[in-house]
Amino acid sequence: MSVGKAAVKVLHLGRISYGSALKIQQLHIKQHLDSSSISPNTLLLCEHEPVYTIGIRQAPYPPEEERRLKELGADFFRTNRGGLITFHGPGQLVCYPVLNLGCFKKSVRWYVCELERTVIKMCSKFGINASTSPDTGVWVGNNKICAIGIHCGRYITSHGLALNCNTDMSWFDNIVPCGIVGKGVTSLSRELGRDISTEEAIPKLLEAFTEQFNCTLTYNGSFS
Amino acid sequence: MAMCAALRCVSTNFSAALPLLSRPAHIWTCQNSLRPNILRTLYTSSRLSGALKFTDKHEWVRVEGGVGTVGISNFAQEALGDVVYCGLPEVGTKLEQMEEFGVLESVKAASELYSPLTGEVTEINTDLADNPGLVNKACHEDGWLVKMTIEKPAELDELMDEVAYEKFIKSLDS
Repeated sequence: MSVGKAAVKVLHLGRISYGSALKIQQLHIKQHLDSSSISPNTLLLCEHEPVYTIGIRQAPYPPEEERRLKELGADFFRTNRGGLITFHGPGQLVCYPVLNLGCFKKSVRWYVCELERTVIKMCSKFGINASTSPDTGVWVGNNKICAIGIHCGRYITSHGLALNCNTDMSWFDNIVPCGIVGKGVTSLSRELGRDISTEEAIPKLLEAFTEQFNCTLTYNGSFS
Repeated sequence: MAMCAALRCVSTNFSAALPLLSRPAHIWTCQNSLRPNILRTLYTSSRLSGALKFTDKHEWVRVEGGVGTVGISNFAQEALGDVVYCGLPEVGTKLEQMEEFGVLESVKAASELYSPLTGEVTEINTDLADNPGLVNKACHEDGWLVKMTIEKPAELDELMDEVAYEKFIKSLDS
């Protein structure tokens, strides 16, 4: 049992392919599982080239669907996270917390709720009134501004959240985002009527994360 | 991960599982021959049966006639939230104790399941395909996940009984 706040290391990966980011997450998960006393909690921050990803519920996305989306010029990945289909691409801030929930609270329901609250807090720092809904994620009215989908094994989390900053939203027209019919998507730029890059969003997201998770962030310039 | 490749959605497994539906009927016939008050104790008592053993990952196993029924505890289902999908292994899958055998999805989170024992999967709960919420509503009864053989009965001694498990979850930092 640790006294005081948990420490979380921030790693900026920059523009990186989805596949490469998956490998880096796996490395960090392995670090958690291998180490006996040190829990190297890490927050990976990155942006991806256009890619559609799905979660463990694969039935709605057969090979024909995969082909269709690839023909549009995006990559396609089947992952081990929760949640249905979503899009990642330039202008979207993707955050992968690889945490040991033993340092926080051993409940995925709690963890997902805290991720939602973190993003809501971040949005409020921009003056945007965001909220949760019965569908996991962060919403501004009927439009989702941030998607969430995670995996948890032996209390180690992976995957995470995807916040639209100045994403080209037309990529979402090709899918039913997160399988939710009748609702839309939005971004920080759309809500504020000015261009907001991932660089501008990062400090506010990290601020909200430390506040919500009651942790301290450490920075390491090099890639592990 | 190898485990992901081995998983099959329960609904796509349904045609393979159909012959298994006769098995629960056979078990029910046997149980009908038990005295009613034993059935009451087994199924209506809010106290957990002493036959439940628990892992520190919050799975339970109940042994009846050499077959282990596996599920997750009330603590686990509360920590997950509403289960919307159960990814269970195929019948015939051989499992080692503590090996990942499946995944439950809730609130967009996929959480791994760990086998309490070494053995072979003999049956999966096909009700969960259409009704995954049974894992929340009836985690010790109708929300069971898989049944398996018990290759190493000594492993049961390593697991916690109900009393020890209650102590264990109280000790967890919340």
